[in-house]
Amino acid sequence: MPLKKMLSVLMLQIIIISQLALAVPVDAGASKQDSLTRLSSVRHAVRTDGVTGEKSLRLVVEVTGPVQVSKSLSSSPTPQLIVDIKGAELGNVANNIVLDGKIASDLSISSLDKSDCRLVINLPEAIDDTECKVYTLPEDTATNRPFRVVIDIDKPLSVPNFNFTPSLKGKVIAVDPGHGGTDSGAIGPNGVQEKAVTLAVAMEVKALLEKAGAKVYMTRVNDRDVYAPNDSATEELSARAEVGNRNNADIFLSIHANSFQNSQVGGIGSYFYKNTIYGKLLAQNLQDGMVKASGLSDRGIYPANFYVLKNTAMPAVLVELAFLSNPSEEKLLNTPQFQQKLAQGIVNGVNNFFVQAAKLGGIN
Amino acid sequence: MFPRYVICAVLVVMLGLAAGCGAPPPKSDGNDTAAPNVDVNVKQNQQELPAPAPKNSPKAQEMMQVTTYHATEDAMYLVPETQSVPKTEHPLQTALENLVAGPQSSQLVSVVPAGTKVLGVKVKNHIAYADFSDDLIKSNHGGSTAEMMLVAAIVDTLTEFPEVEKVQIMVNGKKIDTITGHLDTSQPLARSENLIKR
Ligand SMILES: [Zn+2]
Repeated sequence: MPLKKMLSVLMLQIIIISQLALAVPVDAGASKQDSLTRLSSVRHAVRTDGVTGEKSLRLVVEVTGPVQVSKSLSSSPTPQLIVDIKGAELGNVANNIVLDGKIASDLSISSLDKSDCRLVINLPEAIDDTECKVYTLPEDTATNRPFRVVIDIDKPLSVPNFNFTPSLKGKVIAVDPGHGGTDSGAIGPNGVQEKAVTLAVAMEVKALLEKAGAKVYMTRVNDRDVYAPNDSATEELSARAEVGNRNNADIFLSIHANSFQNSQVGGIGSYFYKNTIYGKLLAQNLQDGMVKASGLSDRGIYPANFYVLKNTAMPAVLVELAFLSNPSEEKLLNTPQFQQKLAQGIVNGVNNFFVQAAKLGGIN
Repeated sequence: MFPRYVICAVLVVMLGLAAGCGAPPPKSDGNDTAAPNVDVNVKQNQQELPAPAPKNSPKAQEMMQVTTYHATEDAMYLVPETQSVPKTEHPLQTALENLVAGPQSSQLVSVVPAGTKVLGVKVKNHIAYADFSDDLIKSNHGGSTAEMMLVAAIVDTLTEFPEVEKVQIMVNGKKIDTITGHLDTSQPLARSENLIKR
């Protein structure tokens, strides 16, 4: 018995010494080469694009070497975004991270095998492939940045419980002819002023909407500043948004004409604030209506961080009728027939919007 | 016991080997104009990454890279243009001056009104205060597309610098509410990536 015990103690010592001896060179080798790529940090922030106003969540995973990434979306049982990082081990990062809650709920990180990791991001609502981006950034020694995996997730459009019926009858609509008074807005090469074009089209829109049974509130009906002459832009723009808010308008329409440095640029565009599904739907319908009625080229619809869109409580769109900086469009914008066409296109768009909005979420 | 030790040792050796050859080859995306420093706006959770240490070597004509943004001819997108310029003591001001000077490429359009001068730029708490002469407003031909492109180009040019998270646009030393009456510029604005052509 004592002999056996002695032997086993001796054996154990040999093993410990051997392992220590073995462990030293291997450790040294690993730290010298340090080529096992691993995740080194995870950070996140909700960002608002300064110009388009779009909100998104950005997750940045720092890695010690180059990796490859792939993403997949799953909707059942609950919405998830799954990102696989190939070529990196887990490293010393938290396994679970609570995110903002609105765009994404939380993130869990696990290893798939020795050299691959999986990030599972739980989402409050299902998103599609265009609403999330996953990409890698190379190391940047000039700014002291390591290799990175970047995950951007867009904030989904909310679906508020608006009460829309499918016609113009009885609707309350705020119409805002852009600029006015001391602010002429854009001026074309032949002197046509934005404030005059927007007013002419807006008055036509008002007449057509009223004919269809809507109640229209105008921010201005003549050539004036809405707040006061030479006021600040914030005072002026908030006075306009206030016309929609104060009157509980169903929708807010701001009418503008565009301008750009290159006089060849032309066409129609519509802008919405990316918060609810209705702003985007209204923009698409107005855009389709104006393009169809005018025959001008279609620049599309875009999210924009415009003051009157951001500060109105109802679906709001700013339309750009055409480009005053483009001489042929300037000429068109200055003719009553063309103004009439655009106004009819806008009113057709508003009507189609209510038809579609009523199907989407209307109670009546 | 002994066999287990052998397995252990073999495993350790194998791991060492794997460590030596396991890393995939680096991706060949040197031309990362599509995503230049795009995560500069991410809030650093704990500590800010240190800004690159200034190298004070007295070499003549040391160069630095500045990236500015200009519009496509159809006014749909902004495109970054990176230039190598003589190193200056105030790289943010140099970058804005390059922006105001317009693009190198004839395919791109300058978004800054003619005659606009850069009066200065200061960074405080990760906000860059960019001060311009009043030509920014007075020589502006208006239009919301021109305004969006101009604001995005200023903000994106300055947020190329890691120390800048947001940009406050100023004219003659004062904050401005708007440039042409559509965008609200009364607050510092974060980088706009969605107008950059990918
Ligand atoms: Zn306008």
